[in-house]
Amino acid sequence: MWLKVVLLVLFCLMIVGAVHFAEPREPEQRSSSAEDIHSLRLLTWNIGYAELEDDTRAHDKDLPAVAELILRQEPDAVALQELTGNAQLKVLLGLLNGKYRGAVAQQGNGDRFEAVLVKDIEAKFIPIAAGGRFALGASFQPGSDKHEILLLSAHADAFNAAQRRIYTEALIDWAQSRAQSSEVFIAGDFNFELKAANQTNLYTDNVKHDSESYSHILRYFRDLGRAAGDTAINDRRIDYIFGPAKLKQTGRVEVLRDAAVGRMDHWPLLVEVEL
Amino acid sequence: MANNSLRAHVKVNWNMFILLKLELEKLFRAKSFYLSLTVLAAFVALMLWGFYTYAARKTGGKAVEQFKYTYESKQYFNGLTFALYSVLFSFTLLLPIFVSMSAGSQIASEARSGTLRMICTRPISRASLILSKFLVSALHAALLLTFFIVLNLVVGLIFVGWGNLELYPGPLNLVDAPGKIMRDEALMRFAYAALSGTWALLVIVSLALLCSVVFDSPAQAVVMTIAVYLALYIVGRVEFFDQLRPYFFTTDMDFWRDVFKPDIPWQSLWHYACVCGAYTIGLLLTTLFIFERKDIVT
Repeated sequence: MWLKVVLLVLFCLMIVGAVHFAEPREPEQRSSSAEDIHSLRLLTWNIGYAELEDDTRAHDKDLPAVAELILRQEPDAVALQELTGNAQLKVLLGLLNGKYRGAVAQQGNGDRFEAVLVKDIEAKFIPIAAGGRFALGASFQPGSDKHEILLLSAHADAFNAAQRRIYTEALIDWAQSRAQSSEVFIAGDFNFELKAANQTNLYTDNVKHDSESYSHILRYFRDLGRAAGDTAINDRRIDYIFGPAKLKQTGRVEVLRDAAVGRMDHWPLLVEVEL
Repeated sequence: MANNSLRAHVKVNWNMFILLKLELEKLFRAKSFYLSLTVLAAFVALMLWGFYTYAARKTGGKAVEQFKYTYESKQYFNGLTFALYSVLFSFTLLLPIFVSMSAGSQIASEARSGTLRMICTRPISRASLILSKFLVSALHAALLLTFFIVLNLVVGLIFVGWGNLELYPGPLNLVDAPGKIMRDEALMRFAYAALSGTWALLVIVSLALLCSVVFDSPAQAVVMTIAVYLALYIVGRVEFFDQLRPYFFTTDMDFWRDVFKPDIPWQSLWHYACVCGAYTIGLLLTTLFIFERKDIVT
């Protein structure tokens, strides 16, 4: 009898302990915002469609919505991915009423392009070769600020983790070489699959490649958008904005979850930093 | 009267001590105990082979160009990392099998061999019998896990060498950002893991003991335990059942891994430890309730 009483008391203690140590549920909205900082505002957005569609690149009919968001948020620079080409970029720039200049990256083996849009009319656009693909950089000065900013628009392979790694290493090597003379930011869709808990494999090369690619970036840059949460459907955080490790302060960091139109599977990530 | 009560109390404790001694003897005489240690040692050997061949494959020849950053630091694949991978890979699927075997056969094998009736005629309560069986099974789980961790650390030291424990996001899903635990602290974390892992395994022990009481065949008891465990584990890994996952004890058992995070989330750890404790004691109480009313016919 005494044994059962002791066990019953212990059982109740365990229940009380579990309730006492239970952590409050985090709110589902994972975007975070801090005080407004107006030094530099960056936006990255993969405006293509999910892979189940016939044409997964950006659709012209969505460009007015993309332009409307850019005009509303007024970033100093925008990194876009999965455009169909220069012609589509020109349409978008027209919808932005000339407030932005832009360029697309060189065509690699694929059929889609990265682009960078910048407010600064004296911005320079720099093509970057990275592991068989091409990224695009834009060098500019935001407002009257004397800081030289270099924003790279990147899009790593969606299907091959080893290729993502090669691309990331080449991109970071290039970015590092410029980091002495400019504040370098890297924005785009890296397709890192780092949530191993949801996968059925205990360990795969793919997860390791993505882990080491991501960790390699973090040796030199900060993941500015981490607090904002998932950036694509299916609970994936695959769009990033990386910035210098020595930034003074980050302000607003937000995934704009009501911005996607059509069959887009990504949401824009917006980051404000003080240099 | 007080003296009689004290004598009765001392007699109960002495009987319990004798029971535990006998059960421990049975445990150390059982071939399955040494079989489980052998299989775990073979697993460690397999992991070591895997590590060596993986590193050679990934960093030799042409692969050097592509994987020049394979190891962010020379310390990445050291003996502690090896031990961590080995323990984390095996804990979820290998250790529960041996624990189920041991606990699942406690009552059912006695019933099958006809010795259970004889044991129950002795001047010991059925509750004491169950408790002693549970404690011995719990000790078995603790010994298995401690042996496994120590073996991995020793093998890691001899063949790879110790260093700091580097952690990266992705594999093992322990951290969101790169982190590091210094060597001495990391060794302490392995000691914590022996405790937290044993506590998590006690849920399986008590489930297996319950099945051992319900089923008269040890094979049925073990199979049922493993089936329940695997069913919940597998279902918990499928996204269809994301909503149900928090209610599976297999999800709660995962708390033991948190001791390897650079900053141990103590509040979460205590919460899940209490949840697992509640499962363990709840199942044990159920076992007691059923066994005390069970008609032993074999």
